[in-house]
Amino acid sequence: MAPFGRRNVLLALLAAAIVLPAFANVYHLFIANLILVYVLLAIGLNILVGYAGQLAFANAAMFGIGAYATGLLQVRLGWSFWLAFPSGALLATAVGLAISLPALRLSGLYLALSTLAFAQATQWVFLHWESVTFGAGGFKTPPLSFAPLPIDKPLGLYYLSLVLMLALFLFAQNLVASRVGRAFVAVRDGEVAAQSLGVDLLRYKALAFGISGFYAGTAGGLYSAMLNFVAPEGFDLFQMVLQKAMIVVGGLGSITGSVLGAGLIILLLEALRAFKGLQEIVFGALLVGFVLFMRGGLSSVLKRHVRGWEEPLRLPQPSAPMPAPRPIEAPAVRGEQ
Amino acid sequence: MSAAVLNVIDLEMAFGGLKVLDGINLEVKAGEIRGLIGPNGAGKTTLLNIICGIHRPQKGDVRLNGASIVGRKPSSIARLGLGRTFQTSQLFQGMTVLENMMAGLHRRSRTGLFAAGFDRPRRRSEEKEMEAAAMSALAFVGMADLAERPATALSFGQQRVVEIARTLISEPALVLLDEPAVGLSANRLAELDTLLRKIRDQKGVTLILIEHVIHLVMGVCDQVTVLSSGRTIADGPPAAVRNDRAVIEAYLGKELSARYQAS
Repeated sequence: MAPFGRRNVLLALLAAAIVLPAFANVYHLFIANLILVYVLLAIGLNILVGYAGQLAFANAAMFGIGAYATGLLQVRLGWSFWLAFPSGALLATAVGLAISLPALRLSGLYLALSTLAFAQATQWVFLHWESVTFGAGGFKTPPLSFAPLPIDKPLGLYYLSLVLMLALFLFAQNLVASRVGRAFVAVRDGEVAAQSLGVDLLRYKALAFGISGFYAGTAGGLYSAMLNFVAPEGFDLFQMVLQKAMIVVGGLGSITGSVLGAGLIILLLEALRAFKGLQEIVFGALLVGFVLFMRGGLSSVLKRHVRGWEEPLRLPQPSAPMPAPRPIEAPAVRGEQ
Repeated sequence: MSAAVLNVIDLEMAFGGLKVLDGINLEVKAGEIRGLIGPNGAGKTTLLNIICGIHRPQKGDVRLNGASIVGRKPSSIARLGLGRTFQTSQLFQGMTVLENMMAGLHRRSRTGLFAAGFDRPRRRSEEKEMEAAAMSALAFVGMADLAERPATALSFGQQRVVEIARTLISEPALVLLDEPAVGLSANRLAELDTLLRKIRDQKGVTLILIEHVIHLVMGVCDQVTVLSSGRTIADGPPAAVRNDRAVIEAYLGKELSARYQAS
């Protein structure tokens, strides 16, 4: 059908990700794992911003809440990682749902500002609620072990991240190509019209915030385990710029674009690591460049020029490769009489 | 008496000190096509926005199939079976025509977060049903060949037609068409006229048509209600309303209408 279509390219990337640990050194494996974590972040943020159209800036805070909750539940309460990690993800989900409440009343710039304020407040809590969060210095998390399995921690965590990323990628892809995904896009493209079709704004905005919270919380838990360390500065404004850059470069309103954007930005970040200070400039330029000249990001360019990159908002039709003249004309004849 | 789909009872609405609706009563029966006309500023759009739940009236009641809908959210009223179209195109620009039509079936479908995300059989079967229904609804309005087009690629008139089809697809109990003819060329207007007659004859919907293009209203509607300055000044079959003195006065003013009737 389409040899370089979306499906084949993604399957090739997945195959590469599965065999990568056989060839990678510790550093490469770390970067690969980081990409998986950021794919989760970018997908969650894209559902909220790209699909549901909510210009929110709380994703870095949600990422931090997932990381802090996973770490602190282990350190302060002695929970196992396997209990603390899902709890952290659920807590981030709950926070996401909670901050969706003002979102119903605010839109555009006001929503952006209020979620930014929330992110700064979260940052303040991480820094100053020292009796719980250990303050600016951060804290070490207990070593993670994949005990009965004969694999060391970096490898185990890499495959755990890969499995979760794959599952949540598929979940997101199914979700956007369904009634729920169309409701998100309806809210984004016209709130009044969406309501007139029976779409409950509060419900679908809350859902989008909750989903992005869950994805960010999951990413945060994995991130804390990767570093064995949690500190406030990982979840600041630059973190938010990074995630926004991923979905803008990859393509707003594209799950596959989120994957590409996350991968490219992390690789670029690593390539620029030698030139500190250049990172911010390059990301700023990249964001402005894409917003000005490539609004739809990479995925829209691929959709236009390469066959098989469409991401319809409905069930893909495996039997019909290209939209040929439609066979479903039968009911029309009755109607035309 | 056949069942009333919509009852508007003693509706009053003021913005600031300006009384926009002053005791409106309206009863629309099942299967009826009601025209709602009146000069600019008569209160048509305000009435429509109250029925849809966008505004809340200061006094009076609105009942859809006998149940009061005042104070409900627009989406909740829509789920009870009220559909509407808008004066400016409100197609979802990020969707294809077909996806827009499927979004129109929102209130008729049930796939939720987990059924969708985990790709449960319900999602699969419901998606297929929705697509088939959307295609036949597009065929009904003669737009089946545009199904895969992005909404942005349609002409103004085509967008209008798809929007009407998107509203009708969920078979609402009552549909409000807000000036569907606005901005249409003569050819497109004739097509719209044909389409509205076809909808009337083949779909049996209950419809309120708010329109300034009078011949459209007179040709399609069973009953016509005329608003002026927030009051109902006439109510009846098109032929009767057309010759009603108060209506002519409302549109032309007293002096002109006297001359008009003399000539």
